[in-house]
Amino acid sequence: MSPPSRLAASARQALAVDALERPARKPIRTRLAVTIAGFGALAVAAIALAPLVGSTHISLSRAFDRSIPFADNVDAQIFFVARLPRVLSGALVGAALAAAGVVFQALLRNPLATPFTLGVSAGASLGAMLVLIFGVSLSVGPFSTVPLASFAGAAVAAGIVYRLATPYRRAMSTAVLLLAGVTLNSFFSALIMFAQYFADFAQAYRASRWLMGDLDVGSYQPIIAAVPLVAIAFAVFAMLPSALNVLSLGPEAAATRGVDVVRAQRLAFFSASLATSAAVSLAGPIGFIGIVVPHLVRLLVGVDHRIVLPASALFGAAFLVACDLGARTLLAPVELPVGVLTAMIGGPFFLWLLVRKG
Amino acid sequence: MAAGTKRLIAAALVLVACGAGLVSPAGADLTRSAPRLQSEKARIVSLVPALTEMFYAIGAGPQVVGVGSFDQFPPEVATLPRLGALLDPDTERILTLRPTLVGIYGSQTDLQAQLARAGIRAYVYRHGGIETIYRTMRELGTATAREPQAERLVRDLQARIATIRTRVRDRTKPKVLLVISRQPGTLREIYVSGGVGFLHEMLEIAGGRNVFADVARESAQPSQETILARAPDIVVEVHAEGMFKTSSVQNEKAVWAPLSSLPAVRNNRVHVLLGQHLVVPGPRFAGGAEALARTIHPAAFNR
Amino acid sequence: MTLSADRVSYSYAGPPKGGHYDGLNRAGHDASSEFALRDVSVTIAPRSLTGLLGPNGCGKTTLLKLMSGVLKPELGSVRLGQRELRGLSARAIAQQIAVVPQETHPAFDFTVLEMVLMGRHPHLGAFQLEGPDDLAIARESLAATGTAQLAHRSYTTLSGGEKQRVVIASALAQKPTVLLLDEPTASLDLGYQLEIASLLKELNRERRVTMVLATHDLNLAASLCDTLVLLREGQVLMQGPTREVLTSATVKQLYGVIADVSFHERAGHITVIPVQRP
Repeated sequence: MSPPSRLAASARQALAVDALERPARKPIRTRLAVTIAGFGALAVAAIALAPLVGSTHISLSRAFDRSIPFADNVDAQIFFVARLPRVLSGALVGAALAAAGVVFQALLRNPLATPFTLGVSAGASLGAMLVLIFGVSLSVGPFSTVPLASFAGAAVAAGIVYRLATPYRRAMSTAVLLLAGVTLNSFFSALIMFAQYFADFAQAYRASRWLMGDLDVGSYQPIIAAVPLVAIAFAVFAMLPSALNVLSLGPEAAATRGVDVVRAQRLAFFSASLATSAAVSLAGPIGFIGIVVPHLVRLLVGVDHRIVLPASALFGAAFLVACDLGARTLLAPVELPVGVLTAMIGGPFFLWLLVRKG
Repeated sequence: MAAGTKRLIAAALVLVACGAGLVSPAGADLTRSAPRLQSEKARIVSLVPALTEMFYAIGAGPQVVGVGSFDQFPPEVATLPRLGALLDPDTERILTLRPTLVGIYGSQTDLQAQLARAGIRAYVYRHGGIETIYRTMRELGTATAREPQAERLVRDLQARIATIRTRVRDRTKPKVLLVISRQPGTLREIYVSGGVGFLHEMLEIAGGRNVFADVARESAQPSQETILARAPDIVVEVHAEGMFKTSSVQNEKAVWAPLSSLPAVRNNRVHVLLGQHLVVPGPRFAGGAEALARTIHPAAFNR
Repeated sequence: MTLSADRVSYSYAGPPKGGHYDGLNRAGHDASSEFALRDVSVTIAPRSLTGLLGPNGCGKTTLLKLMSGVLKPELGSVRLGQRELRGLSARAIAQQIAVVPQETHPAFDFTVLEMVLMGRHPHLGAFQLEGPDDLAIARESLAATGTAQLAHRSYTTLSGGEKQRVVIASALAQKPTVLLLDEPTASLDLGYQLEIASLLKELNRERRVTMVLATHDLNLAASLCDTLVLLREGQVLMQGPTREVLTSATVKQLYGVIADVSFHERAGHITVIPVQRP
């Protein structure tokens, strides 16, 4: 085409874009507001409604009756001591794992990454195992033994992976990160099995039970201990989404669009590891949240991390609270471990995703 | 081939034939089909703590040459070789000790097969209620040619149990939560005794009513909500000796404080009991039942 | 602004354990084999369309990456105007210099518009969302590359030529003064090659964007570039106006191939036709 006709074509196209713009997507501000309002409402509804339902029938009016002394009010105790902490920890863990999943997926440039891919959860599990198997009991303030030990284990694992994957003066190689994480996972799992082998029945059983995940925290203390950690992680998460978008094009492409790649990778790794460690220390390793929720959210809102990250956190909270509700009511009075339920939902979901893509 | 060698081979074949005749592949309970062992020439290995205690209690202690990793009683076992347990039995070492009788777990089918090949008798331990404990003692009595001692032991235990029953007979049975496991220092992952098994039976003998008697399993993991709903009058935790190594019984009792609507917490009836007699379904279980009875009905034991 | 590389050297192996270089010598090692680029000085005139030309491994991609600030030279410096790139943040550099790599593989299923809007990233604050101005710039970049009608399509579903045009649009959205392109037509078939080539020429002319193109395609360089830098084994063989620099002799020096280099009347530019192997 000769230059004049090319220009004319450009002009026509500019008009075409304008026409296309209006019926198609709204600007990001609107979409972000709508998404947060929508998923936020969902999360709030889940948190508000879940404590009302359970394996035992309680009278809500009695539960909220201030005139009855708390120590005598069974309904109030069931609501405030048994159910509410459980729902709150479900929301906290669900939000943390879902958001960490989104960030790890961006960092590793792989939508199949999970918060447990890089070995953080294996480290947490090893810490918990050692303490459960050797019967150590060492609480520090609001941090009780097993959460403390599992957090320490997670920190060690994250530290090892970070050292391995950060070469001199260059950005993290995602290939090395992945390899280091997978290797650490295998190694720690072997150590866990080794430790279990030498435990007696009771210890080994307790250890296995922990691995299935449990939100029945029974008091607000563990939640209070976990909240500051998750809050720090989320504060860092808030800085990341637009960088994550660009980072998913590759480290060089990101650098040439103005992203400080090394800093962004470090912040992403640190915050996602922190959120995962806190969540696993609180409730054990609950799988599939970190991958099912981001995928579902992307199906609904697209792949822009500025929307996916907050939406996943909110949806993750609602999702886990709902799964826990199912876990404690479906086969009442028997309880399913919540990790089993998330796996039963997550597994088929993945098969469906694979079939759809293939 | 030299004549001497032929004789050797023949002798070996005879021995093998005898060995094959001694052992049947199904092997579960060999006491009736097998010839009796002379009690003093017996060499006994036991991987199961309950069986170990029983062997000693019926007087077969001197014949015990090896025990499992988790056996603690009687004190004599401290000097004996440790041969592994459920997951990691040290088959080679067991065979090296040339035992004539080996007490093993029901799920250790590989070990059982190897013992059968080596011509060694195995006694397969079955976990169950109190009747099972009595039956096991009797069967061990038969296997070690100490039937009178075993019978005496059973009768003693039955008498002690009867005494406990008598003492608590006319007392109202409080609702009891019998906790068998939880995470140390916190009220998470609480396991309780269901309505089946020797712990449940001990609780009944001791004059308590299991709040989870309706669960048709030996153990269950109830949520805090369920525990609150069932409102037990007494909470009794039973654990092995070294359960709370680095904390104190006081601290562990205090863990129940947040569930203040439980009558057990309100009336300060939370008890933490430690001891092997509480968790091993062996000859000392009567002591465990007594401990439970004293905890649940202290007034019945004051003279 | 003039983009210049001043006596730059780069090694992918990094500095020796001691931490710094002693000139170009590393005790005990053959210095020449360590460096991808040695003592290279190149000046890119503003608004020019410069080609970095040479066989594979000659260092042209390395030079391009040094010029974009992605790599930092071991020795020497890269300047934009008077300022050294080393002292500028990635953001500051990206506001002036944009890069079109050979291939772009996003890990997630972005739309074309989202890809182009990412070009606005260096101009937005940490928590700032793109506004109507940014959208206007994005739309205009799409129009300039003839991809406006693809705005809401998923990037991964596009053809090779369309993808490259979108990536160019994304680079244009950065509103750069310098555009660096690494083998922009290497993975495209002939029709798309010509399309991209004429697009680049048009953009250079109309938007007055300085362009630097790394390529091994002699005819592309000849048709598009007004200035050429010939690189061989990490060093500059020759640099200057295309007509002067691209001759049979230099082609032979660079590739070891005898070629006929002459102005082609009908095509309107110099062409390079290999005629015989030496």
